[in-house]
Formats: sequence, C-alpha cells, structure tokens
Amino acid sequence: MTRRKEIAMLEVTTDWYLSLAAILFTIGFLGMMIRKNALIMFMCIELMLNAVNLTFISASKHFGQIEGQVFVFFVLVVAAAEVVVGLAIIVSIFRKQSSASVDVLNVARG
Amino acid sequence: MFEVFLFFAPASLIILGALIVIFAKNPVHNAMGLVMTLVSLAIIYITLNATFVAMVQMLVYAGAVMTLFLFVIMMIGVDKKEQTTDSIKGQTFLVSGVFLILISLLVYVAVSSDFKWDLWFPPVEYDVEGTPQLIAGTLFTAWIFPFEIISILLIVATAAAIALAYDTKKRNSNA
Amino acid sequence: MWLEVSLEFIFLLSIFLPFLTAIFLFLNKKLFNELMTNFFTLNAALLSFAIAAYSFVALALNKFNGVNIELFQWISNPDISIGFTLDGLSGIMLILVTGLSFVIQLFSTSYMEKDENYSNYFIYFNFFVFSMLLLVMSSNFLVMFFGWELVGLSSYLLISFWSKKPAAAKAGNKAFVINRVGDFGFLIGLMIILDNFNTFDFYKILNNTNEVSENTITLISLFLLLGAFGKSAQFPLFSWLPDAMEGPTPASALIHAATMVTAGVFMLVRISPLLQHSNLASLLITVFGLITALLAAFSAINQYDIKKVLAYSTISQLGFMFIAIGAGAYVAAIFHLVTHAFFKALLFLGAGAVIHSMHHEQDIRKMGGLRKQMPITASMMGVGTLAISGIPPLAGFWSKDEILASVFANGGIYYIFWAFTLGAAFLTAFYMGRHWLLIFEKDNGFEHSDINEAPKAMTRPLLLLGIFSIFIGFINTPFFHGLEKVLHVNLEYVEVTHLPEGITLIVLAVLSIGAGFTGLIIAFLFFGIELHKRIDLQKFKLEYPINLIKDLSFNVLYLNKFGNLFFVSGMKNLTRKVAVVVDGMLIDGSVNFVSTAFNKTSKITSTTQTGMVRNYVVYFGLFLLLLIVLFIATPMVQS
Repeated sequence: MTRRKEIAMLEVTTDWYLSLAAILFTIGFLGMMIRKNALIMFMCIELMLNAVNLTFISASKHFGQIEGQVFVFFVLVVAAAEVVVGLAIIVSIFRKQSSASVDVLNVARG
Repeated sequence: MFEVFLFFAPASLIILGALIVIFAKNPVHNAMGLVMTLVSLAIIYITLNATFVAMVQMLVYAGAVMTLFLFVIMMIGVDKKEQTTDSIKGQTFLVSGVFLILISLLVYVAVSSDFKWDLWFPPVEYDVEGTPQLIAGTLFTAWIFPFEIISILLIVATAAAIALAYDTKKRNSNA
Repeated sequence: MWLEVSLEFIFLLSIFLPFLTAIFLFLNKKLFNELMTNFFTLNAALLSFAIAAYSFVALALNKFNGVNIELFQWISNPDISIGFTLDGLSGIMLILVTGLSFVIQLFSTSYMEKDENYSNYFIYFNFFVFSMLLLVMSSNFLVMFFGWELVGLSSYLLISFWSKKPAAAKAGNKAFVINRVGDFGFLIGLMIILDNFNTFDFYKILNNTNEVSENTITLISLFLLLGAFGKSAQFPLFSWLPDAMEGPTPASALIHAATMVTAGVFMLVRISPLLQHSNLASLLITVFGLITALLAAFSAINQYDIKKVLAYSTISQLGFMFIAIGAGAYVAAIFHLVTHAFFKALLFLGAGAVIHSMHHEQDIRKMGGLRKQMPITASMMGVGTLAISGIPPLAGFWSKDEILASVFANGGIYYIFWAFTLGAAFLTAFYMGRHWLLIFEKDNGFEHSDINEAPKAMTRPLLLLGIFSIFIGFINTPFFHGLEKVLHVNLEYVEVTHLPEGITLIVLAVLSIGAGFTGLIIAFLFFGIELHKRIDLQKFKLEYPINLIKDLSFNVLYLNKFGNLFFVSGMKNLTRKVAVVVDGMLIDGSVNFVSTAFNKTSKITSTTQTGMVRNYVVYFGLFLLLLIVLFIATPMVQS
C-alpha cells in the first residue's frame, strides 16, 4: 500500500529529463570512442546532439521560456547541414579506399 | 501515474535504441536503433509541451536524415565487417579509463546531490506551449538574424555536399 | 583670364623656375647634349634672375613693405600654412641667389665641360637653387625647415658629385652627418616655438615676442643657434666645410661660400626680434663667432690646398657675421653677407679657373708666377683679395668696418671682442695676401709655360663679379644707409646697434684699414720678397715657434684629430661593444632561445597529433572530464 502510494506520489521533474539526457550523451560518446565505422560515428554524434536538444527542451519547460525550443530548431538545422556534408565526405572517402573505417586515415598526423 | 509511465516508456526505448546504435554490427540495425531513439525522443518532447519541435523531429530527423543515412548505407554496402581488434595502440585502455571516470563522475554528482539537482529556480507554474505560432513569433522577430545566417549555412552545406560527392574522374571518363 | 594673375604671384615663379628646370633636365637627361643643357639652364637662370630683379624693383616702389603670399593653410590649429614672403630681407637674398646662380652656372658650363655626369651637375645645381630660395623666401618656419633640409641634401649631392673619389664620398657623408647635429637643434627649436606661439608664421611670432618669458626665448634661440652653427659651419661644427671642397669648384663657390652657409646668418637675422630679448644668446653668438673667426683665420695661414684656404676664409668671414649679429648689428651682418657673397664667389671662381688651367692641380706650392700666364684671373683674384682684406673703397672694407665699429659701439666687454676681431681681420689680410702671392707671384721653380688663360666663359663671370666686388660696398656706407632702409620692416621692432659718430668712427676706420694693410704688407714681406731668407733667423731663435705655428695651423689645432679620436673612434668602440653584448647575446640569444624552445615543444606536442579521429575523440573526452570536474569544484552561487 505504502509502496503504491510512493509510486503514485512520484512526479516527473526536470531532473529526470536531465538525467536521461546525460545518459544518452554518455552512450553517444562511448560509441564515438569504440566504433571505427565513420557512419556509426555519425549516428553517435546525432545521439549526442539529441541529448543536448533534450536538455534545451526541458530547460524551456522549467523556465517557461520559448527560446529553448527555438535553439533546438537551430540545432536541428545545423545537424541536418552537418549530416549532409559529413555523409558526402564519407562517400568520397569510401570511393578512395573502399572502406568507411577512420583508422586508416592518418595523413593529418603531426 | 500515467505521467510517470509516459516518461519511463519512451526513456527506456531511447536508451535501448542508443545501445543498439553503438553495439549492433549491421549498419541497418544501427540505423533502426537510431530511428527508435529519435521517435521516442519526439514522444518525450510532446510530454514537455514542445509539440512543434516534436513534429519537426519526426519529419527532419526520423524522416529526412534517416533516409539519407540509409541511402549511404545502401551505397557503401552492409556486409562490410568491422575489425573487432583495435588497431590503435592503447585506445582500449584510454577508452575504458575515460568512460569509467565519466560514469563515476556522473554517479558522484547524482549521489552527492541526493538525486535532486539544484536548478537554482523552482519550475514555473504556468505552461509554455511550443505551438508553431509562438515559435514563429519568436523566431521571426528576435532571432531573425541568426535565422537568415542558418539559411545561408544550409545553402552552403548543400553546395559543399554536391562538390564533395561529385565524382570528377568518372564524369571525365564518361565525357 | 590667365593674364590677370596677380603680380604678387610672379615672384613665386622665380622660386619654382629652378625646380622646374631641374625636373625638365632630369626628364630629358638622355636626350640633351651639353649645349642643350646649357641653353635651358642658363636661360632659366637668367629668367629667374630677371623676375627676381623685377620683384625687387616692385618691392622698392612699395617702400620695402613686405608682401605675404599664403598658398594654402595646412592646419588651422596650430596655425600652420604654406606660404612665401617678399620683404627686404628675402628680397636681397632672392636677388643674390638668383644672380649668383646665373653667373656661376655660366662659369660651370666651361668648368664642367666633358664631365660624364654633366647634366646631373646642373640638375643638382638647379635643385639647390630651388631649395635655397625655398629657405629664404618662406614666410614661416616650416617652409624654411623644408628648404633648410633640402639645401643640406643638395649640398650633399654636390659635395660627393665625383663619388668615385672615396674622399668626395666621405666628405659628403661628413657634411651631412655634422649638419644633422645642427638640424636636430633647429627642429627642437621649432617644436618649442610651436608649443609657445601656436604658429610658425614669422610675423605673428616676431610681433608677439613680449608674450613669452625671456627664459623661453633664450631656450628657443639656443636651439635655433645650434642649427645655425651647423649650417654656417661655426665652431664647433665647422670641420665639414673644408672637406666639402671635394665638390666641383663652382658648386663650392655658390653653396659653400656665397649662399648656403650664410643660411644660418640669414635665419638669425630673420629672428632678430626674438634674439634681442636674450642677452645670453647674443653673448654666445659673439663668443662663438669670435672663436670661429680667429680659429679659422689661424688655420688658413698654413694651408696648401688652393680651395681649403678659401674654405677656412669662408668660415672666418661667417664668424665675422655672427659677431655682428651678437653685437646687435643685424644690418652689418646682412651687408657683410652680401659683399662676402660677391668677393668670395669671385675668389672661388678664380681658384676654379686656376685649377682648370693647371689641369686639376690644387696644391699652391706647385703654382707660383702664374700672373703672366693668366693676367685676367690674377687681377680679378687680386681684386677679391683686396676686397676681403678690407682695403677701401672695395666692398669688404665697408662691411667689415661696419662690423668692427658696431662691436666697438657696444662698449664694456665688447672692447676686448673688438680687439680680437681686429686681430682676425689682420689675419684675414695676411693669409689672403699669402694665398695670392703664392699662386701668382712667388717663383716656386715650376715651369708653367704651357699654362694658358682660362676660356672666356670663365673670365667673363670673373670680370662681372670683380666689378661687383669693387662697387657693391657703396650700397651701405656711413654716408648712405641703403641697406638699413631695405631692411626697415624686418628690423622694425629691433634695436639695431648704431655706429659711433664723428672722430671715433674715423679712428676705427683707420685702424681697420691699418690692420688690412699690415696683414698684406707682412704677407708681402714673407712671401713676396722672402724677407725671412735674407735675415738670419737663427739669431732670433724663431725657428721653433714658427714651425709650431705652421704645424698647428695646418692641422687646425688638431681639433679634427681630437674629434675623430673622441667622437668617431669612441663611438665606434662603444657601438662595437654594444653590438657584441646587446645584439649578439641579448637579442640574438633571446630570438634563438624562442625559436629553439618552440622547436622542441612543438616536436613534443606534435606527437599527440596522431591523425586518428578516435584519438581526438578521446582528447575531447578528457576535456569533457575536466569540464565536469571544474563544474563540481566550482561552488554554486545562488543569485
């Protein structure tokens, strides 16, 4: 009975959303570090961007201001542009070496 | 009660999708995991009163961007097996170190704040509906200048993508 | 209509005509042969002189009230404008410079014949005339400074005209560097003037001298004085002028005798309303002028270079002018400037004619007895010698006598100065007599039968200048104060020292003539009939002192060597040490250290740039960790 009451009293606060965003970001970052396929790394970047979007939206609700959502809109556009250019780069890399692995690409080493 | 369910159901899907993205071997599976995450995020957005952003998320991310990903996967091919052993020296060690520290720091922050993050202000009493009217009203007045710059960025990105993906060799040999 | 150009502007043409000629000759350097160059430069000079004469007559009809022409205002506050003025002082200089320029260019056409840089010479020459006119015609200190610097430049160009000779190149450098010391003082003086008067205009400054304290005026005067010392080769900045004789002789005649070196005198007369308020400056001018006059005259008595004697004589005569300025006799200073310009130009051109006929031999010990071969040159040089020695009624007598009388009229310590000045006048007569006798009279045992009289293009200017040297003195005699009337506007607020009257003046004149005659007679005894060989000098034990005097005179009291040792060598050693320590160790060391440090650190840090994307992701992660740690560590501030 008390247990049910506790669950019933649970309220979804901003902290929960922020925690979710942190977990999503961490997973995306881990993926960036362990995967070698450039395509998957791009997906991980998308994950991290979405984590940031989530914080923006929850902050927008928390502070009652619309600007958070406007920023998300901007992030969406930038992400789209980035995906377009990034995928084009991947395609041209693939043409050169018939593999999307980033580990072969170290011509820019110091 | 229903609200809690509305949070946890999409949240678990988000995390599941994200894990699929980083661990699945087949690129198509990765892409599907990403779709799952993005759609679930859209649901979360709706619960946060950001309806317009949720719709854009569905259309742009889950729709356009994912299509683009799938196209590229189609071009590159799905059967390319990624090397399982790490070719960079010390990368595994570094990765695990960074990851463990990151996790422990996050846990430390969560525990030390008693799972209640001090956000300086209490949440406001009223709700802000992220309707298209409101967003457009803000975007086209206070943020008109960044908006214009963003549009230029998009055009430049499109041109760059064309320039990058344009196969000059093939084209020349055809001609 | 273009014909209705104001007559006031016409005199501007005489200033800019030499400049246009210089440009014209420069542009057509390849095209013109010597004849064409002569045609243009001589006609331009003659036209310039004609306009100058016309302007002067117009000025005279205007009772010598000055005309100011402001071309344009440059800056309104402080009030700086570019403009020219035509008053008595600048009018005299205008007519003097353009006239002498024409005569000397006429001489140059013959003297510079078949020189490989023939047209260059006339380009520089015209450029010099332009600069000098800029200097003297300016209505403010700024334009004067432009001219002041440009005459330095053109003087440098003409001194090192034969730059293939190392001595000429060196002499040009020396003149330039020493003049720089003076220019430095001049420039600082100008800055103080601008600070105090807020304008550069002569008349605005000179009519308001009461507004500034005497100390400031003394300061201004002293700095301007330094400039005048440099340009007019006064002690201690005089050693460049004898070296400047490496240049072509006609150029020396115009620049280093008649006009440029008198710029200092001109400038001091120009600022005389300022100068009279500062007793210290006046005293310093007199003392330094006196030292210069005596020292240079002393140095001239045992020189053997035909031009160096004249160079030291120029320095000495400039010393006389400075004495006159210091004694408050500004009219006498300008008067001496004018007469000196004529007879010194005459002497220099005569020397040029001799050098030309002697096939560029300048040592007077190898001349002697040239009177029979070169009668016109000899007689004209004789006129010049008499004029500079102060023999009446030639030009030099009137001006030098006026200076001596003015110094005497000041009284007090100036009686002593007068005595010394008289001594310098005596020395002048002595060395000039020696000079003439050694060249034209004394037989030195050299065969000169192949020497001919100089060509007509040389003797005609000599005759012209000789006539002027005789008669120019009559423009300002005790009976007719012509020059004083010309300069009345410039000296309106100035207390000019007046000559003593009656019997005193006559006694002074007799003494001055006596000094001149005595000098000439002693010179004649020594170098004409060689008295010292007929009397046994051993009896008087005079050999040692005479040799000592000869040695000291030849080496200018060893001042040059002292200066070289002290300033040049000392500075060289110092700079060498500075070069080793500061440049070698400090600057090079630090630069090398920086480059080595960058090299090493960049080698270390570049190992982190593996080129692997995933490594970069890890770095990104590390900084993310740092960010979180900072976030935790930073205490939250409740706003």
